[in-house]
Parts: sequence; structure tokens; C-alpha cells
Amino acid sequence: MSLERNVRVEVIGVNPPCPRCEATWKNVENAVLTVKLEGIEATVNKLDIMSKDVIQEYGAVVSPVVVVDGKIRIMGRVPDSNEIVKLLREIAK
Amino acid sequence: MTERKRLLRTIVLLAFVLFVFAALVYSRIMAYSLAPTMKPADFHGLAVWYVPIAYLVDYFSHGWICLLFAFVVAGLVYEFIPKEAVTKYMSGNRVTGYGLALATAPFLTVCSCTMVPLFAGVLYSGAGIGPAIAFLLIAPAANILAILLTGEILSWELAGIRIVASVVVALVAGIVISKTPWGKSIEREHQATAKSRVATVELVKPPTDERLWAAFKFGGYLAKRILPYFILGLVAVSYVEAYLPEDLVGNYLTGVSGVLIASVIGGPLYTPTLVEIVLGRGLWDLGMSKGALLAWLMGQPYDVANALAVSRIVRWEVVLNYMVIAWAGSVTFGLVYGVLSGSL
Repeated sequence: MSLERNVRVEVIGVNPPCPRCEATWKNVENAVLTVKLEGIEATVNKLDIMSKDVIQEYGAVVSPVVVVDGKIRIMGRVPDSNEIVKLLREIAK
Repeated sequence: MTERKRLLRTIVLLAFVLFVFAALVYSRIMAYSLAPTMKPADFHGLAVWYVPIAYLVDYFSHGWICLLFAFVVAGLVYEFIPKEAVTKYMSGNRVTGYGLALATAPFLTVCSCTMVPLFAGVLYSGAGIGPAIAFLLIAPAANILAILLTGEILSWELAGIRIVASVVVALVAGIVISKTPWGKSIEREHQATAKSRVATVELVKPPTDERLWAAFKFGGYLAKRILPYFILGLVAVSYVEAYLPEDLVGNYLTGVSGVLIASVIGGPLYTPTLVEIVLGRGLWDLGMSKGALLAWLMGQPYDVANALAVSRIVRWEVVLNYMVIAWAGSVTFGLVYGVLSGSL
């Protein structure tokens, strides 16, 4: 199978960002750079936790939230980048 | 990491939790005071620069157990509460909405930056404005750090009454506002099309040792954000206790007018950093009545920073409305508690 698939990652946080959301965002970006070397393409989007559309889609959540491929995988805690790398590899398999 | 290493790490971390709990129990058995113990009279004759140092040294020499316990527990609770289950039902119907708002606020709001987003979440996801307001008003009084520190630094009786009073005020405010024309129009505006979230949730569960470590890290994060203000608060209290004449407090912060004054100055002074608890302790030592102390503590729901954030989501009528109700509630409960406890 080719690894051409693009993984969609969303980070839902508070705007203006709180320190924990910021840390999550950085770790996710690092993870994306890491997996890029392995041929996995991932795009990251920042979403605002207070936006109505976000809440309609993901419900009331506790920030920070990481959504991978449309599924909420992490809620209310700061994941380290290794954890995100693992998640991305799993999806891209 | 190998399985054995993980197990070892888990055991070490659990041992630390056990130590923190044991330290608290030990301090109870030995009847240490975990609150500041210096009284206004102790400050006589101290140099101006030495007043805060003496106070801080005195406080931290025994108060560290209480602070350590509070931050460790807050970290553990926040990490291990099943957030996906709790938030899933937040968008349910009205009754579960109120129930959940009140029951979950203590666990979800230790970090001040989650409060307003959850308010928006509850409102937009269909539970309505009532539960959203109730959640917002209960949060500052009922978060686990505030409860632990109110109990240890002031008194557990006061901590209990503060919670009960806040629950009542939060419910009343929620119900009243949901009946007002502006409340109803906001509810119509945010009528949810989807009753629950569309996206699926499949949370990753890290191994126990990592979760424990994350819990401590979060406790440390909270401490880093809160302690600087807390220490500044202690410095302020040391000067208040050393130099504020007792007659002034005794004259103005007792009786019916004391409750009124305390409820008004408590609000603007509120920062989500528990300073109001230490300041309250200082004024209490100087003779503020228990009724006024309760009104002082309950004044926080109408602090300005929060109100501004909320007014971006709902109309200012709603903000004004809940401020008035919160203020009236703090005065009412302050007076009732003052009369019942014989300290007005």
C-alpha cells in the first residue's frame, strides 16, 4: 500500500491560547515533522474551542483536544510528541 | 520502555502519592495547623521589610503539606476523571444538564482556562442557557483546589457552607435567567441542530505510570500558575495584619453593613488564584465576622475578567443579570450564616 494518504489532524484549544494548548500544538507539529521523514503526510489545523461549529461537531470538550482523522483521540491533557507519532503511524498503515 | 521499568516507575509514583496523603494524616494526628498561625499581635516590633518574610516563613514551615496535598490531588483528579464520559452527557436535556453542571464543575475547572470554553460548550451543544450559567457560577467556588484550601486555611464548616450556598445561587441564577426574555432569545439562537457530538471519540489510554506522571506535571503546572499570586497575597496579608488597625475591620466588616461591604469588595479582588482565601483569613483574624467572610468568598462570580469573557458569548444583559443574582445571593447567605453562627 502506498503511504500517499494525507492524515488530517486537528488541535482544538482556547483562543488566545493557554499554555497547555500551546504545548499540545507544538508537540503535534513536531510529530508531523517526524513522520514526514517516513513518508507520512499530515496536515494540522488549529480549531477554536469556543466556535459554534466546532462545538456542534465535537460537542462540549475539555481543552486541549487532538483529533486524528475525524476521531477525538486526546482530551484534556498534553500529549508528548512520541505519542502523536505513534498515532499517526497507526493511521497511515 | 520495558514492562518492568514501567512497573517500577508506577510503584515509585504511587509511593509518592501515599507519602503526600500520609503527611496530611500525620499533620492531622499531631494537630498541626496548616493555616497561617501568626496573629496581628505577633507583628509588633518587626521591621517593615521583615514582616512579610516572617509571615511567609511561618506559613510555609507548616503550610507546605496542605499546598502539596492540594496540588497533587488536583492533578490526580483532573487526570483520572473520565472526561469523555462527562462531556458526552453535558449536551443532554435540561435536568441532566443542571445535574452535570453542578456535579462536574469541581473536577473540570481547576484550570481557569477551561471554564469559559465549557460554558460555551454547554450552551452551544443544546443543554441551554440555564445549565451553562449554573456551571459558570458554581465553578470558582467548587473547584477542588478552592475547596481544599478554604477548608484548611479558613475552616471546613465554611468550605461546606460555601459550596451549598454556591450551588443554590448557581441554580437560582440558571433557572431565573432561562426564564427571562433575553435568556430565551439566546437559547433560541443557539438551538442545537445536533443533540450530541457528531465526531466519534476513541481516546488513547497511556500506561498508568505515564498517567501518574502527567498528573504530577499538571499539579506542578497549576502550582506554577497559582503560587506566585498566592505568595503575593500572603505578603499583602502580612501587611494587612501588621498595620491595618483592628478597629477599622471590627467597625466596618461586621454586622449587616459588614456583609454588604465584604460582598462588594470581594468581587473585583477576585483572581482565580485563591488569593481571596488568604486575604479572607487575614481579615478574619482582624475581626471580620463569619457572615461577612462568607459574603466575601462568594463575591467572586461577578469578577470583571470573567464577565468580559462571557459577554463575548452571551449578551451583556445576561452577564448583568447573573452578577446581580450572585451578589444578592452572597449578601443573603452572608446574613443568614452570620445570624445562625452568631457572628454577624
